[in-house]
Amino acid sequence: MEPLKIPATGRTPEVDFDFAAGTLRLSGESYPDDVATFFGPVFAALRAFLAEPSDAPVRFDMELLYFNSSSAKALMNIFQMLETAAREGRPIAVTWCYEENDESMQELGEDFAEDLHHVSFTLKQVPADGAP
Amino acid sequence: MTFNLFAAEEQAIEQARLLGERLDAVAPEFRAEFDALVEAFRRSTREQRRLVRVSDRLQAQLGSANQELERRRQEAETALAHLREAQEAMVRAEKLASLGALVAGVAHEINTPVGIAVSCASHLDDATAQLREKAQAGDMSRADFARYLTTATDTASLILANCERASRLIASFKQVAVDRASAERRAVGLHRYIQETLVSLEPKLRQGAHTVAVDCPDDIVVDSYPGALSQILTNLVMNSLTHAFAEGQAGHLTIGVEESPPGTVRLTYADDGQGIPAEHLPHIFDPFFTTRRGEGGTGLGLHIVHNLAVGPLKGAIAVESEPGQGARFVLTFPTVTPEDGTGA
Repeated sequence: MEPLKIPATGRTPEVDFDFAAGTLRLSGESYPDDVATFFGPVFAALRAFLAEPSDAPVRFDMELLYFNSSSAKALMNIFQMLETAAREGRPIAVTWCYEENDESMQELGEDFAEDLHHVSFTLKQVPADGAP
Repeated sequence: MTFNLFAAEEQAIEQARLLGERLDAVAPEFRAEFDALVEAFRRSTREQRRLVRVSDRLQAQLGSANQELERRRQEAETALAHLREAQEAMVRAEKLASLGALVAGVAHEINTPVGIAVSCASHLDDATAQLREKAQAGDMSRADFARYLTTATDTASLILANCERASRLIASFKQVAVDRASAERRAVGLHRYIQETLVSLEPKLRQGAHTVAVDCPDDIVVDSYPGALSQILTNLVMNSLTHAFAEGQAGHLTIGVEESPPGTVRLTYADDGQGIPAEHLPHIFDPFFTTRRGEGGTGLGLHIVHNLAVGPLKGAIAVESEPGQGARFVLTFPTVTPEDGTGA
């Protein structure tokens, strides 16, 4: 399946979904003007990828450092899709990155992991103001 | 009792659990579907909690960003206030420095008559001693006495004339200096006051063989702040001498005064130098605008002129110039400064 790569803009994050390698990554800041326009294609690609039967492991790196409420809901929906796939037997690992000293982001990560039972979830501290 | 933001949702979930148990008894075939609905509601509640947290986090970030913005705004305002204070201090220093230059100019001017008086007095003293020797030796001729009388008359009149000149210079300087330093309001004859101000500039003008022509009716009297006017003229002349003329070029400065309309003095100062480039014209009254920073220019001379014209004199000043055509400054101000004037 073709990879999905969307470069970051001022309000939208970088999307780097390399489906062949099984590595999916969202990084930067996310507060799009229109959440449907931005996340629509992301969801479509992810849904198509997860619909293909496969046992290959998948890694999802959540490297957003700032996101608004709509993006948060979109993230929860992505996590739910991953959880459903994991429950059906696909090995899926999610890594939630937060900058050091950003405790509220760390706590949010713990909250977001609450509904993940089959996905393996990891919190990862990254240096502040540096690329993770 | 602890406060629970999601008490109603938890209560609904508890009711659903009890309803599920009753459903088991009456219609167990719907139980699984019912549980799925309840689970969806539970998850939705959890998501709602997360969204509230995300939203609170965003509000907090916005709040601290605003605080930071306010802190920086205050820093910038403080820096601006300091800058203004420093600028005012520099303007005061520049005014004092120009007072110093005025003193030096007048001292130089007074030196000439005093020097002449001293050498005349010394000559008279010698002649008197020689005559006394001859008289005591008893060989003073009638011609000796006549020659001495001529010497005494000539030197005495030179001493008197030069001392009077020095005295006049001191008087006019004293008035100009006091006006400059005290910024007091008083009535002055404009023509005479302009001449008195020019005295202190005489050495500088003579150095470059520059001439000043003053065309001012004798009967214009202004009730204003003459110190400010004197400072304006001095700065305009110094500006011309610094910028207008090439090395060795003798300039012609003119000061024309008329009362037009009645109650308003219109003073036109002009030089016949190289003029001011058009791109500099909009900035010449700005503080610290100078084309000679490396050579000791502060860029405050014409700024002070502008401040004094619109401040103490309650007037206005305009400049016009074209390259090669000299520069013209037109200063207008009321003959009687309105009462709320504070001076400077």
